[in-house]
Amino acid sequence: MTREAVESIEDAVKSIIIAELRVEPSQLGPTTHLMKDLGADSLDALNIALRLEERFRIKIPDEAIPRFLTVGDIVNGVGEHLAAQ
Amino acid sequence: MKRIAVTGIGLIAPTGVGRERVWEALAEGRSGISRIEDFDTSNLKTNIAGVCREFRGEEFFDEREMSRLDRVSQMAIAATEMATREAGLTNGQLDSYDAGVYLGTGFGGQGSIEEFCGAFFSNGKGRRSAIAIPKSMYNASSSNIAIRFKTRGPNITVTTACSSGANAIGQAFHLIRYGHADRMIAGGADAPITPVVMDAWKEMRVLSTKNDPPERACKPFSANRDGFVLAEGAGIVVLEDLEKAVERGAHIYAEVIGYGSTADASHITFPDPDGEAHAMTRALKDAGVRPEEIDYINAHGTATKLNDASETEAIKRVFGSRSYEIPINSIKSMLGHSMGAAGAIEFISTVLAIEHQLVPPTINYEESDPQCDLDYVTEGAREFGSSRPLRTAISNSFGFGGNNAVLVVRAYVK
Repeated sequence: MTREAVESIEDAVKSIIIAELRVEPSQLGPTTHLMKDLGADSLDALNIALRLEERFRIKIPDEAIPRFLTVGDIVNGVGEHLAAQ
Repeated sequence: MKRIAVTGIGLIAPTGVGRERVWEALAEGRSGISRIEDFDTSNLKTNIAGVCREFRGEEFFDEREMSRLDRVSQMAIAATEMATREAGLTNGQLDSYDAGVYLGTGFGGQGSIEEFCGAFFSNGKGRRSAIAIPKSMYNASSSNIAIRFKTRGPNITVTTACSSGANAIGQAFHLIRYGHADRMIAGGADAPITPVVMDAWKEMRVLSTKNDPPERACKPFSANRDGFVLAEGAGIVVLEDLEKAVERGAHIYAEVIGYGSTADASHITFPDPDGEAHAMTRALKDAGVRPEEIDYINAHGTATKLNDASETEAIKRVFGSRSYEIPINSIKSMLGHSMGAAGAIEFISTVLAIEHQLVPPTINYEESDPQCDLDYVTEGAREFGSSRPLRTAISNSFGFGGNNAVLVVRAYVK
């Protein structure tokens, strides 16, 4: 995938996290942990997955959700799902 | 037998937020009914309701918390915040298996339910959410109260239509009396002013259509009454084992001394004076009080043709000729009918009437009705005092389905 493509996924993922968790953009780095750093719980993770599915028109299986731990994990995960389609 | 005290009060009503503000309006005979502004009412015959405009969730919750709480839960928690603060129980004293929550609601998370249904039926074009069920389930309010205030005892939500709040307080009262808890957060909350609910009530033709002016629409016991005005709100009390309350120097508003609960077993909407009379009689018996000892009745008084006549008849069956000497009021004339919250808000109003020795008026009374010929305190708030003290009172709540709940309140004397 091109660097531009990765960046646009990153922007979209960040804007979803900001909207769902009501956090500031400055709080998000690639290693920011959703639960440990941003106080998200499993319901937040589910909601973020729903928004990602809607935004990118992908289907995220249940097993994938626990792996969405950091911002970077999510960006990579979305990239993989898009590539697989 | 254990005595139970009311040591804290939290109130959210169309006339304001907080016990002092709401009582002030009640004492002045001020109405909180206004035109609905949050959604389109052009297809409805009724465009007024008791909206709690002064309630702002932002004053009690941050954005994330609010996103997980339906309006009804926000109001219930906020009222609990106020009640527990008043009661001086904010230092972990509620963190106990002996402290619980008993909450009444008629419509639960109705606003959220409509939101999620809308999203579902529009094929997900709205917001699909993982929080749909925890946000809209009927026990969301009482569970969130437990989480926030750490009450680990019995946590129950009761839904008995218009008597939910009263039944919740009555059940909580009995739990303490019979040793299942030392302290209970009890009351009711409802936020039913939604497009779907207003439309559904319209089909029953039971809402007042006297939209102009809104403050004069609700006319309990008046011959020209034409139905109730829907409202929202929350009424929460802290009930406590009296001995423990006195021990810690808590302010005691009044004592709850009796509770009666019956079913008409008659019709799903039409009231039956027999079931209502029995609820009053059983409440008096539970209190160990004779009808002659009742100084005041806070009526259910919805301003429907049927309720007001049936309730008047029921009162006569219990109190006989003395019915004509007991002041009776309906604060729904000012606050509207907040469904599951009403029984709790009215219980609180009864407690405050005893504390202030003042009975708020039934406003908007215009024409006398031979079927409703008792003293409804229509001339304005009535003062009591040393010559004629307000000592013992009852609060009536008669819900759809024939669910009747009556509570007996007595002034606290050391």
